[in-house]
Amino acid sequence: MDSKSSACSSPNPNPTLGPSKLMLAFRFLRALSLVRRTTPASSRTCRGRRIERAAYASMAYTAGASRAWSRAVLRRLHHRARRRAVAPRRLSTTAGNRAEALRRLVPGGGGMDYCTLLEETADYIKCLSMQVELMQGIVDSASSYGP
Amino acid sequence: MEMNEDRKFGLEKSHGDHLSNHSSGVSADWQFNTPAMSAAPPHPCTAASLVPPLTSSPFLSAPMAEAFVPGLWNHHATSVGGSNIQNTTSAINSIPIGRPVAMSSKGMLLSTPPLIFPPSLPHFPADSGFIERAARFSCLSGGGFMDVNLLRPSQSVAPARKASKVVMETQVQNSELSMTADKVVSLPAAYGSIDQSRMDTRRDRRSPHISNSESQETNFCEGGQDGNVDSSGNSSPSDLGANKRKRTIQDMEKDQVQRGPQSSSEATETKHKVEQNSSKHGGNNGKDNSEAAEEGYVHVRARRGQATNSHSLAERVRREKISERMKYLQELVPGCSKVTGKAVMLDEIINYVQSLQRQVEFLSMKLAAVNPQLDFSVERLLAKNLREFHGSPLSIAGFSQEMSYPRVYPSQQGLGHAGSSTMVNPSDAYRRTMNTQLPTTSGYKELSMQMHNPWNEEIVMQMDYDANHPPNAQEMNRKPDGFAI
Repeated sequence: MDSKSSACSSPNPNPTLGPSKLMLAFRFLRALSLVRRTTPASSRTCRGRRIERAAYASMAYTAGASRAWSRAVLRRLHHRARRRAVAPRRLSTTAGNRAEALRRLVPGGGGMDYCTLLEETADYIKCLSMQVELMQGIVDSASSYGP
Repeated sequence: MEMNEDRKFGLEKSHGDHLSNHSSGVSADWQFNTPAMSAAPPHPCTAASLVPPLTSSPFLSAPMAEAFVPGLWNHHATSVGGSNIQNTTSAINSIPIGRPVAMSSKGMLLSTPPLIFPPSLPHFPADSGFIERAARFSCLSGGGFMDVNLLRPSQSVAPARKASKVVMETQVQNSELSMTADKVVSLPAAYGSIDQSRMDTRRDRRSPHISNSESQETNFCEGGQDGNVDSSGNSSPSDLGANKRKRTIQDMEKDQVQRGPQSSSEATETKHKVEQNSSKHGGNNGKDNSEAAEEGYVHVRARRGQATNSHSLAERVRREKISERMKYLQELVPGCSKVTGKAVMLDEIINYVQSLQRQVEFLSMKLAAVNPQLDFSVERLLAKNLREFHGSPLSIAGFSQEMSYPRVYPSQQGLGHAGSSTMVNPSDAYRRTMNTQLPTTSGYKELSMQMHNPWNEEIVMQMDYDANHPPNAQEMNRKPDGFAI
């Protein structure tokens, strides 16, 4: 990826940021500022849900189309946008069959074999933790920035 | 990983980029991982295996290699087999490396008595283990040979050479050595992976090639040792595609790690990795031999004393794959290293994913409630990230595109980018689109419009953002589902 080459070529002031993290940060921050501008400040829950959708969208885009879970996430987001329905929270009950519970958790997990499910879960966990890290960093910087 | 390989093999970095060149289509990650391993394939097997790759690889001159190989075999004396092989392989290997002079000299030497060879290969390490490995790799052809015995090169060189010779001869007849190039390259990576059993993102994708090729090579070499190399067995790998090899990644690694100690016992067994159609060859071998016949997709060597029918072998492959992935997940999920057992691990994984998703939700609510000061911090963060991208002018231009929209709101202190002036038209179009969008559409729609790009664009870091987005933006307004692949 060009991002990788460009990130490697320039000295990285933030050594913890990898190229994919950078892309994720860029996408998410852009979406975040957009949401903040467009939604009224009063509806915090509405804005919060939008921010959450933006988080998943930026995660999925950063992961690329090669991952089944990212494709499923974007599919769901786009379809929900069309039907103007709020994406329901995925309820995951640790049923007797743990594999089913995992399938419910991981987007797009319904239609894959167990092997692929584990692989997708690993990638999903990686991207999720990256996203959580990013959001935590933003919250921390925002709280530290303001008095 | 590179250090490990260096220490392990003591390779001279003679052909640093050879492997990368050689690996036709194999991920370039190997270059990073195994620069030291580039000198890996000095082996007669690899020479044979290199023949087909020459045809497929743009770097190798196939005619030269093909001319070399027959000459190599003609002069392939057991006494100088190693050096010959090294010469041929080095000759073939050196082609992509860009040492044409050395190549031609070696190529000429191929037709001459082998005695001339040894001095011409100064840069090939005389590592016997290397030779074994190279032999093993050359044996691999195509696809998914899962060789349990991929081990440290502790085995004697002679059997490996003999095996490789036999394999090579059979391989030469085969036209499907295209995979061997991958195998050869993958050896170093496979070893690196053996060092660390954990897979990283790179190896997620690439290791399949590596691990598969390694196992395949070992399999081949093992089979060759018994002298029962069947042509069909040798040709089997050709059927396996790169995609299929991917699926056997972790299996290979696991096999390699697990079955290392068993290699010696298995080495004595005559096992051939063959395709389904080669199951008939099972009768040729002794009782210790097992013909693994999967759906032509993964080749597994049955362990000694284990059931050898295709179903159990396939099951074993699948189980190994799953356990490989579970191990990887164990490393990902914090605090799971002590947990043993698939059920408990799965529970932990499920809890972790749930907690991560809850965290995302909670943080998004928190972000929604943060003061408008966040806007400044957001821009600061973006500016900081943008500075990191300063190495690439394209990225600046692309980002300036992204950054341009804050200027729509004069109240905000946008990031000034001189580059944006050069992109006036697209950015203007974008801004206009944004202006029309903002008052009418929902926040999410704009998000999707912003976020949306065809997948290939996203992956290309939105370098063409300015070029592609304005026309897409218009479509996005009418068609909220911009998700296109």
